[in-house]
Amino acid sequence: MPSPSALLFDIQPQLATPIYRQVVEQVQRLVAGGQLGPGDELPSVRAVAERHAINPMTVSKAYSLLEAEGLLERRRGVGMVVAAHAQPARAGQDRLALLEPALLAVARQAHQLGITPAQALKALERALQSTEQDSP
Amino acid sequence: MTVAIEARQLSLRRQDGWSAARHSVLDRIDLRIPEGAVVGLVGRNGAGKSTLMRCLLGLQTPDEGNAWLLGEPSLALPDSVRERLGYAAQTPDLFARLTGLEHLDEMAAIYPNVDLRGAAALAARLDLSLGKRADTLSLGDQQKLAVVLALAHDPDLLLLDEPVASLDPISRRDFMRALFAMRRKPEPRTVLVSSHLLSDLERVVSHVLFMRDGEVQLFIEWDEAVENLRCVPARERDAMALHWSDAQGGRALVDVRQWPEAAGEPGLSMEDLLEVLNT
Repeated sequence: MPSPSALLFDIQPQLATPIYRQVVEQVQRLVAGGQLGPGDELPSVRAVAERHAINPMTVSKAYSLLEAEGLLERRRGVGMVVAAHAQPARAGQDRLALLEPALLAVARQAHQLGITPAQALKALERALQSTEQDSP
Repeated sequence: MTVAIEARQLSLRRQDGWSAARHSVLDRIDLRIPEGAVVGLVGRNGAGKSTLMRCLLGLQTPDEGNAWLLGEPSLALPDSVRERLGYAAQTPDLFARLTGLEHLDEMAAIYPNVDLRGAAALAARLDLSLGKRADTLSLGDQQKLAVVLALAHDPDLLLLDEPVASLDPISRRDFMRALFAMRRKPEPRTVLVSSHLLSDLERVVSHVLFMRDGEVQLFIEWDEAVENLRCVPARERDAMALHWSDAQGGRALVDVRQWPEAAGEPGLSMEDLLEVLNT
């Protein structure tokens, strides 16, 4: 595992989601998607705070919540790692649940723009294809 | 919970020009800021933000009420508490003929904890030359120097009045990083910082304190505000609402925990909140 990068997270303070929740949800997604596996190190609180110019307490709060949830473990001398028994979500249902907030936002905007469901689905398909081409 | 900043019924009035009317600058302010909180002090010009800071620091005497910093009365702070305070005033309070380094030397002679190397590193990070006389610095650089001086002795309690108003966006980011990086003690520092640059505050604050016309309108944990405060259309004031504004046909600021039907409304940015609280 390469050294953990504080760039792992995409933090958008202007979003209507508190920063600590953005970190929690992103770790959940990265574990569910298998990008972070058991034993993988999370970037340190200090590194994440420094990189994104945010309050370290906010990052601590997110990590503590994930620890309480059983997704992360505190390992002496290393910091936070993904818990040994944390599994990528096998049932597609769990992963879909994590995608739901983003889907709802897209649906709302499509409705406001007067885009038909068929048009919206086609656009989503195109977006999916273009991200697949981008990633190796 | 240890309280770092406390005010009880803090009030200050000012004579208005020729008229005999006395106008409230601070109106019965009650406040308890927990240790380790990073509080954004937000309000329009003239809301009383700077006066509140000055009264908390004991630089101005209130007409009524009291304030305490780190458990000691603001008007009689012992040296043991003064050593733990950092303050940068809105108009940087510098010695015109001294360079940045000479300011730091003066500080080191008074305060035991001055970290000259750390201060120099912070100055470099903010792209500030410590070798120039204060009166030759631009306003932005004077502000940077005031911030470097306020942080140099690793204060436990830091009060900053519009510290970044004249800084460019990159320096503002570095300044926000410095708030946390320039800390050698394990306990987090308590910070009260006023600013109109609300998107900067959104990154770093744990709490936000909204002031209007000398009153505290709302003091709330920022995460809680983002998650739970919403605006709903309302023609009339409702006792359950936190605030009611008659702008745009009437809007009520509500907490979704008391007002579940507001849950579908979009979340509010700090700027949105400031706007609704001031209309």
